[in-house]
Amino acid sequence: MIAEHTSQEARAFLVRKRLWQGFTSWANRVAGNVFIWPTVLVVLFLSIFPLVISLYLSLSHLKFVKGGFEIRFAGLANYRKLLFGSEQEHFLGLIVNPSPTGWLVLLTVVAFLIWSLIGYLRSQHCSVGGAAGRIIATLIVSLLTWLLVSTLSPGGRPGTVVVTILYVFVGIAAQYLLGLGLALLTTQRLPGSRFFRVVFLLPMMITPVGVAYMFRMLTDTDKGPFRPIWQALGLGLTSWVNDPWGARAAVMIGDIWQWTPFMFIVLLAALESQSMELIEAALVDGANRWQIFWHVTLPQILPVSTTVILIRMIEAFKIVDLPNVLTNGGPGTATESMTLQAFITWRSLDLGGSAAIAYMLLFLVTFVGMAYVNLVRRRVTEV
Amino acid sequence: MIRYLFTRRSLTTPSYIEIALTYLLLGLWALVVLFPLYWVFTTSFKLPVDVNMGPFYLPGIDYKPSLHAWHYILVGDLSRDTRRNFMNTVIVAPTSASLALLLGTAAAYGLTRFHYRPRLGAILSFIVCMIIAIFAITLGAPWQVAAGGAFILFIVLLQTIGRRFKRSLENRDIAFWLISQRMLPPVAVVIPIYVLFQRLGLLDTRTALIITYLAVNLPIVVWLMRDYFSTIPLELEECAAIDGASRYRTFWSIVLPLSKPGLVATFLLVLVFSWNEYLLALFLSGARSQTLPLTVAAQNATRGPQWWYMSVLILIMIVPVIAMAIALERYIARGLLIGAVKG
Amino acid sequence: MKSKVWLLVTWLVVIALLSACGPAPTPQVIKETVVVTKEVEREVVVTKEVEVAVEVTPTPGPKPFEGIEVNILTFTGPQIAEPLQRRGPDFTALTGAKINVIVVPFNELYQKILTDMATGTNSFDAFVFAPQWMVDYIVPGYLEDLTDRVKADKAIEWEDIAPFFRDFSATYGGRIYTIPLDGDFHMAYYRTDLLEQAGFEPPKTWDDYLKIAAYFHGKDLNGDGDPDYGSCISKKRGAQAYWFITDFAASMIQSKGTSQGTFFNTKNMEPLVMNEAFKRALELYKETTKYGPPDELNLDVGDTRSLFTSGRCALSIDWGDIGTLAIDPETSVVQDKTGAVITPGSTEVLDWETGKLVPCDEKTCPYAIDGVNHAPFAAYGGWSGGINAAADPKVKDAAYAFFSYMCQPAQSNVDVTIGKTGFNPYRISQFLNRQLWVKAGMSPAAASNYLGAIEASLASPNMVLDLRIPQNQRYQGVVLDTAVSQYMAGEITAEQCMKQIYDGWEEITEELGRQSQLEAYLNTLGVQK
Repeated sequence: MIAEHTSQEARAFLVRKRLWQGFTSWANRVAGNVFIWPTVLVVLFLSIFPLVISLYLSLSHLKFVKGGFEIRFAGLANYRKLLFGSEQEHFLGLIVNPSPTGWLVLLTVVAFLIWSLIGYLRSQHCSVGGAAGRIIATLIVSLLTWLLVSTLSPGGRPGTVVVTILYVFVGIAAQYLLGLGLALLTTQRLPGSRFFRVVFLLPMMITPVGVAYMFRMLTDTDKGPFRPIWQALGLGLTSWVNDPWGARAAVMIGDIWQWTPFMFIVLLAALESQSMELIEAALVDGANRWQIFWHVTLPQILPVSTTVILIRMIEAFKIVDLPNVLTNGGPGTATESMTLQAFITWRSLDLGGSAAIAYMLLFLVTFVGMAYVNLVRRRVTEV
Repeated sequence: MIRYLFTRRSLTTPSYIEIALTYLLLGLWALVVLFPLYWVFTTSFKLPVDVNMGPFYLPGIDYKPSLHAWHYILVGDLSRDTRRNFMNTVIVAPTSASLALLLGTAAAYGLTRFHYRPRLGAILSFIVCMIIAIFAITLGAPWQVAAGGAFILFIVLLQTIGRRFKRSLENRDIAFWLISQRMLPPVAVVIPIYVLFQRLGLLDTRTALIITYLAVNLPIVVWLMRDYFSTIPLELEECAAIDGASRYRTFWSIVLPLSKPGLVATFLLVLVFSWNEYLLALFLSGARSQTLPLTVAAQNATRGPQWWYMSVLILIMIVPVIAMAIALERYIARGLLIGAVKG
Repeated sequence: MKSKVWLLVTWLVVIALLSACGPAPTPQVIKETVVVTKEVEREVVVTKEVEVAVEVTPTPGPKPFEGIEVNILTFTGPQIAEPLQRRGPDFTALTGAKINVIVVPFNELYQKILTDMATGTNSFDAFVFAPQWMVDYIVPGYLEDLTDRVKADKAIEWEDIAPFFRDFSATYGGRIYTIPLDGDFHMAYYRTDLLEQAGFEPPKTWDDYLKIAAYFHGKDLNGDGDPDYGSCISKKRGAQAYWFITDFAASMIQSKGTSQGTFFNTKNMEPLVMNEAFKRALELYKETTKYGPPDELNLDVGDTRSLFTSGRCALSIDWGDIGTLAIDPETSVVQDKTGAVITPGSTEVLDWETGKLVPCDEKTCPYAIDGVNHAPFAAYGGWSGGINAAADPKVKDAAYAFFSYMCQPAQSNVDVTIGKTGFNPYRISQFLNRQLWVKAGMSPAAASNYLGAIEASLASPNMVLDLRIPQNQRYQGVVLDTAVSQYMAGEITAEQCMKQIYDGWEEITEELGRQSQLEAYLNTLGVQK
């Protein structure tokens, strides 16, 4: 009797145990999915819908009529307006014949691109997809270079596309170099470096709108703190606001000030975690500091550098707060970035036009991102 | 003597001149960073006349400091709004950052340890069904019906058309897709997201903000943690697996503790992003769930920017984040990502 | 005798109030002074801290809107939002309706209102916004028609509101949609002490304006040793600059009354920009920059106001705010030195047929003053209250009662004297009544000057109505603003600027439908066709 009872219990226990084991081993098998699906679902949920709606909006005109609003399909009208129509000067810029230097730059770039394309086509691992991609990339880069060169030549005026590209490339370069320099200086275990590390983080922590207003205060030549310096230089009666390049410089300085900490912190961490053995070995072998940096340190931090540059680059293309608050895109349209143009258009309820500009930005960033990942990051990491 | 100053004292210790130079450069940049903040600090104590009459630098000496701005923001007319918005920010930002960290780290771990081969067909049918579901929701159908119907359609499509497209993607494509979510400027997606949350009845709630920030910041977490996980040696996990630990256990008990520095640093970054976000908060909030960045921007009304109020708000906003940064800084130093995992 | 009348009236008022409140938590003792220069004498003394609340239709017994909550959306104050928030509790005490004032940043208000109504969210029951936006809300049917309510409401004293605001600003197609709470229009401000010293008259034409500005530019105008500026006008892109160019242009384009309009040709909706008048306006506008601060192209209206009140400008153009800001000791050093005058005009006006400028005479300028055609521009329209048509009927009644309460002379006449409220005068009783302003801190002379200028502007039959056709933001805020700011920056010439505006406006008109835009334009001008 007791034996039966216990064997019943034992059986029940065994069944439960087997069920549990079955469950855990099943869970273990699908672990891969369990790890990734929540993220994918959340991102999908909030990304597909807006993407599709914006695409549709960019192909339509919005109008308020009796009883509500109507969205009329208009095909590529918004895009045509941006690229060939009334907004072309605003978007692409005033296109003139490039100056001699311009021609030189353009031809050099195009020659380089064609040379690398031919090299790829003749290589071993050429594929149809790869070749197609390369050809498209070559075309787009050439077009962009031509746009840059012809709008920046004398007599031309850069549109929002060129200004945005300028902000991104100059800004990223400066931020990276500054961030790296600061990180190199702070890794040396000098007393007080902890203080510097915290202080250097500060600019990134201020809300971007706040940073923009802060810079507006600072750059005010009348009420701002730099007035004595300005006047001492004899520029009391001029203002950077009236000069397109002065205004652009102000925006870029604000951007660099704000985002250098991002590069700084990531690169600092990377430098801190280098393996000291390699460095010591190199020192013992008689390498000087520059050689150590170039051959030992830099390769170690290259993977992180490429990640952080990619992340920062994608964010930099969306710059809007600084030009908006500092000059509202002025003087004229000199400091207007693509996102700012989309924002201004959107505020007046031209949702179609604004979506079209946003999509052009998306194409541009996707292109630059893919090119960057394929060219730079793949070479540097395996992932 | 001069030569002594210039020579390095050992292989790894710099010379005195180098130390001096380092301090000089660091001090210079610290000045560049701190001066604007000092200006904000002094402006918060200025009267409007003081601000408009020209630059005054030293409180007490150049101008008489006044607490009117602090009073207005913390105790006076704006204090109710400030308090409410502050509470909202304090609740929304850390919550969404923690959730992002949880989901994102799991996904990053998955992307470095497992090989995913989603079939193109499956992906396409999934996306098509999601689009149909979402359109049904916006056209007014109750979301349970729409979700259920779409799911059934998905299963059907999967079995039929899904099988046709054999081509599959890889981990790095998934990763690129995730980061590409950040490429579209928020201004283009604000109104669709507004409509989506309106249909779900979640407008003007903190939940909506948390979910949105979660979705927006996940890609960053995934990309940052991916690099880090790829440097943790696999042997540790293989040992654990041999000992019978499940993947979840390995993840939770072995990998995560080893990556604490990276986790903390990523958390800080995502927290800062959510804390300071403006455009989505503006659109998804109404009377109840506004956050602090809105209050900062709102100080620019028809009268022109109220520099004194804005300065106070900026300072209030930075303080909690700085406190957290100081507390967590030592972890950051030891490694955002590429970890020195030494035994 | 006088004191007896005073006593009697106060008692009557107190009794009325007590009966209206019923079981009010705090017995409200109101003392408020309104001196009207007519036979009627009602003197009530104003004390700053105590709230007002009289003259509302006294409702005996249970409060009519008990338990109703009204959500009102406007932008972050203190302007506009502060008086709403301040008087909310009094209104609650009177009627039982709870007033929630919700605020968003100013730049986002237009979008927020429209999105809320268009998507059917309807989380707001009423709004305080600029009438200029009202067409975009009326055409789809989102805004409630208030004509009948206003007609049945005696307490609001509709006839006391200046004709321009009650007949044009608050109406569309002949129906009333908003309750004015504020009167927005441009005036020219000048330093009375400087002009007197130099022997100048307040500027009558734009040429006078430039002459005075040139004279004072570079001199030290506020005693701090630094050179100051002749004229400060906000020219920043994306701020308010695109209204100021209309000040210049309208003085030459509109001369036959408000219904003539200044933006489009009323026959075929053609933009009135490819003509001599607009070109001249652009040139004049650019010339004022010569006598302004070096970064004038980046100054918005807040900056120019601060400059004027810190004594650094001899002239400025602004809404009514400089008048009230100048008397505030916290912000101003020009307390008794500020004068206002109707916006400068022109002795030449546009012949619409030929596109050329012709001299002013009785036929071309029927409303000219001393041979000068003035066209004061009611830019923006004046903050007004509107009601969401989709709100609950009871809530709509409560919202209307609140707006009526805010608009009534007892409340409104006090609020317009306080600079912080952002409310500028719009009622005839407000500027006939100098005492209020003197109490607020203006000297009698300054009050007479300021109010005289307002009176002259409001009385002008040639006041310019701001553009109120569907998607006017695109016309003004995007096309006009961008083109003018590019011209001012030297990126394009005047001809290119005019062409850009013309093409841009035509494109939008074509896109939205020329016929419907023309109809809307005629509707806002009150033209019956």
